[in-house]
Amino acid sequence: MVREVSESCVDSLMTEMVACYCNRFYANKPELAARRIEAIGYQVGQQLSERYTMERPRFGDHLEAIKFICKDFWSEVFKKQIDNLKTNHRGTFVLQDNKFPWLARMSVDPSADNVSSVEDYSAPTAESKAAQAMSMHLYFPCGIIRGALSNLGIPCAVSADISSLPACTFIVRFGI
Amino acid sequence: MIVCVAVVGHQNNPLYIQSFTEADDALKLHHIVHCSLDVVDERVNNPKKSGPMLNETFLGLLYPIENYKVYGYLTNTKVKFILVTTDLDVKDADVRNFFRRFHTAYVDAVSNPFHVPGKKITSRTFAERVSTIVKSFGFSSAA
Repeated sequence: MVREVSESCVDSLMTEMVACYCNRFYANKPELAARRIEAIGYQVGQQLSERYTMERPRFGDHLEAIKFICKDFWSEVFKKQIDNLKTNHRGTFVLQDNKFPWLARMSVDPSADNVSSVEDYSAPTAESKAAQAMSMHLYFPCGIIRGALSNLGIPCAVSADISSLPACTFIVRFGI
Repeated sequence: MIVCVAVVGHQNNPLYIQSFTEADDALKLHHIVHCSLDVVDERVNNPKKSGPMLNETFLGLLYPIENYKVYGYLTNTKVKFILVTTDLDVKDADVRNFFRRFHTAYVDAVSNPFHVPGKKITSRTFAERVSTIVKSFGFSSAA
C-alpha cells in the first residue's frame, strides 16, 4: 500500500524551506544556508535511492547508474524524465530538464530584463540577486542527485545552471 | 530454522545483527557473518564465476559451515543482508521471498529521518518486523 502526498504540499514545503534557511536561520550567510540545504538534500537522496533501487538488479557501471537517475529516479520524484543527457566521456554528465517542476511556478522579476541593455552599475546587482535567489532553490535537487549517486557507490559533485528558465541543467562530475 | 540475520553496510560495518537462538553462541554467529563478507566480495568481484547471475541482488548459498547454511543478498547500494539457517531442505524461493520482505523492512527503517546513515539501526519497529518475517519463514511455502 503506497502512501501519497499532494504535489502542492511538496512545492510549498520546498519554497518555505529555502525561505526559512535563507531569511531566518542563516540570514546574510547564503553560503551556510546553501550548504545546509544541500546536506538535507543529500540525506533525502540517499534514502530515496534505497527505496527506488529495491526491485532492480545491480548496476554494471556509472552510465547505468546515471541512466537510472535520469529515467526511473526522476520519474518517481518528479513524474517526468530528464529530457537530455550529455557526457564528455571523461567523467562529466550534463542532465537537462526542460521544465523543472520545482521552478516551473517561479516568476522572474520582469524589470531585470529591461535593465540588461542599460549601462548602469546597479543593474547587475538586481539581476544577480534574482539569479542568486533562484539558485538557492536548486541546492536541494543537487543534494538529492549527489546523495542518490553516493549511495550507489559513485561519489560526485553536482552543480546546477539556470541560464534559460524554465529549463534547468544539472552538471555531475565524477572522480572526486 | 533461522539462527541469525545481519545487515552489513557498504564499508563492511555492521548495521544490524540479530540472533534467534537461546544458546549463547552469539559470538560464533557474529564470526560466521564476518567470514561470509569475504565470500560476498569474492562473488561480486569474480564475474566469470557468477555467469548469468552477475547483476542479481540474490547471491544464493554462500557457503555451508558446520551444520549451518549461509545465504547472501547484495542491494544496489552495496548493503549486504546475511542469513544463517540450520534447515537442511531450504527452498530457493523461500529464501528469495525472505530477502524481499527483509529488504522492504530495511528500506522503511532507513527512510526514518531520525536514523543516521552508517550507524546501527535502532528502530524497534524494524526489530519487530524482522522477527515476524523470521517466524513465518518456511511456513508460507506449503501452499
